[in-house]
Amino acid sequence: MISYRNILCSAVAAAALLAGPALAEDKPAALGVGVFSFTSGGTAAYGKPGRDAAELMIERINAKGGIGGVPLSATYVDEGQGTEGVIAEYRKLAGDAATEVMIAALSSGNCMALAPVSDQMKVPTVGWNCDTHQLYLKDAHPYFFRPNGNTVPEFVAYAAYLIAVKPDVKRIAIINPDYAFGHDAAKIFTTAIKAFKPDVEVVAELFPKLGAGTYQTEISRLTAARPDVIFSNLWGGDLENFVRQASPRGLFRSSQAVLALGESSMQNVQIPEGVIVGVLGDGWWMSPDAAANPETREFAEAYKAKYGKWPVFPAMKMANSFLYVQAAYDKAMAGNGGKWPSRDEVAAAMKGSEVKTLTGTMQTRADNDGVVDQIIGVTAKADGHDGPVIGDMVRYKGADLMPPAGEDPIAWIGTLSADLPTKLPQPGSYK
Amino acid sequence: MFETIVPLLIDGLANAALIFLVAVGLTLVFSVLRVLNVAHGSFYSIGAYAAASLGLWVVGAGLPGWLTFASLPLSAALVAVIVGPLIERTLIRWAYGKSEAVQILVTFGLFLILEDLQRIVFGVDSFYEDTPVQLLGSIEIGGVVYLTYQLVLILLAAALLVGLKLFIGHTRIGKLIAAVVADREISQAMGINTNRVFMIAFSLGVFLAALGGALTVPQAGVSPGLGADTMVLAFAVAAIGGLGKIEGAAVAAVIVALARVLAIYFAPELDAVAPYLVMLLVLLVRPYGLFGSATTRKI
Repeated sequence: MISYRNILCSAVAAAALLAGPALAEDKPAALGVGVFSFTSGGTAAYGKPGRDAAELMIERINAKGGIGGVPLSATYVDEGQGTEGVIAEYRKLAGDAATEVMIAALSSGNCMALAPVSDQMKVPTVGWNCDTHQLYLKDAHPYFFRPNGNTVPEFVAYAAYLIAVKPDVKRIAIINPDYAFGHDAAKIFTTAIKAFKPDVEVVAELFPKLGAGTYQTEISRLTAARPDVIFSNLWGGDLENFVRQASPRGLFRSSQAVLALGESSMQNVQIPEGVIVGVLGDGWWMSPDAAANPETREFAEAYKAKYGKWPVFPAMKMANSFLYVQAAYDKAMAGNGGKWPSRDEVAAAMKGSEVKTLTGTMQTRADNDGVVDQIIGVTAKADGHDGPVIGDMVRYKGADLMPPAGEDPIAWIGTLSADLPTKLPQPGSYK
Repeated sequence: MFETIVPLLIDGLANAALIFLVAVGLTLVFSVLRVLNVAHGSFYSIGAYAAASLGLWVVGAGLPGWLTFASLPLSAALVAVIVGPLIERTLIRWAYGKSEAVQILVTFGLFLILEDLQRIVFGVDSFYEDTPVQLLGSIEIGGVVYLTYQLVLILLAAALLVGLKLFIGHTRIGKLIAAVVADREISQAMGINTNRVFMIAFSLGVFLAALGGALTVPQAGVSPGLGADTMVLAFAVAAIGGLGKIEGAAVAAVIVALARVLAIYFAPELDAVAPYLVMLLVLLVRPYGLFGSATTRKI
């Protein structure tokens, strides 16, 4: 006879089996990681290095015995398929107990779409590249972590650097991609510039669509506007096309260019000397801190040997994200007596963490947003290098440029004092 | 005033040149075959890939740089000779006389197949080969530096428009095409090999699209997705000009390009929708396009 008690016990056992991934358990044969990036189309020029870095980091971590003795096994997802496809792939992976953590995504739009899904499916997810400041503005996302920082410190840093090197700037023009990242960056950059120098005028603001391919009309428009400074956060193939088309038309001679994601394309296209570039964080493999770290040098040389190029900053962001995941597992296992952690325990370990990376430190705030330093400089020639390097560098502390959690970021930027750029470290001070 | 109008005109005409090449091929194929070819944009991107590959080979083999100019029409011709007859004799021929819905479904299927084939053959990387742009240098007009290549494109498109009109009006095969356009049944009854005319007209359309793609490579490169973007724009231009009208395609290309340029200069937020706003306005007033009509069929 089947008793009520037996049914209850069976139900509890079945529930425990079904909820397996959420509970601490024996070590699995492999730690499944979903890795999302753009690997097709023009955006792959930026996304492929991230995917390559993931592959190399997995090899390197597994060569040292994996995480807690468990080797990593990645499933790669191409974000080029569009957000609907990305969500479907994420759900499929998250539904498989073997996938315990996600490193997703490159695109801010995809992170905005995946963050609520990660909460719903309770899968710790690391936004390895997406940096929209809107991610945590409206809703908290307890399972979504973005340790690489957000657009506010990234573009306030450019405004501060620009004012420091060109205090007489009067006319600025903007050419950014026509989606949230481009519009957010334009808003943040102009708000910061006006906070530092209220008489600056925006003489042209262009938002060509992502993947536009040709920018000849935009280049004419920018030239005709005669700006002192042209700011752009075009990226990937778009940035390369823009540089290829703008250089022969003298745009970089007539105006000071600020290419916010310039470092990611420096090995693919010839960016002229004197252009202000940066790495949207601290992820430059040749920065003084990175150069002083033997592990970073090893990684960079292994990357160059495997892929024929040095790791650009998207590659460093991805590599640092793997260290972040590794640190979370180590911390979670240290906290539960060495047992294999559940997804919940990994997420708890990520919260408020401070992780040493290949290029600096990632701090995760209580709201799961990250704080990293910002490195900016100008393209320069250097002996012993095939292409340009970053000279006249500055390294701003991330915390100095990060709005407090819960505060409206744009309103916060408006409160920055005009003399902030003079109080921050000066260009050339990071050697 | 001069400083504003000159850049507007040059940018508008340079934009129009490339749009015209792809739209005129679409409109030519429609006028002769009466098939609305949704896969037309794929021929543009295949032409671009072929030109980039050939140009990179020329440069890689250490051959003289000026040969990269020759590689542009040559690659378009290769695409037209190989792809044109193959597709016309198989899929397109099967669609003759079928309803528009069937034709669109068939050519859309072809578009998807061609897009995937391009990914298989050329991968997902972008290709760049800008030797022609470098060799031609730049020129300053009205205070704005232009690529000389942009001006060459304008001249090429104008020459092609004149050449096409002369070809249709003054060559034997051109007259045969015009006859088929005017009345297919009577042309057949008079002994014209309409199947051959269809194949030649389709291949010519493929050549024009591929040439447009090839000519875009030196200034913009090629990456996956180029075909889809181009196809939508080409349809808008063909619809504005009047489907089947060569001069209509030319005028519409200039209008659409100028609308885009004006948007970029004065209302950048309208850049992406400008061509379609123009299309909407024109079709509201003239449902068959600027040069089209409900009854006449002339090329």
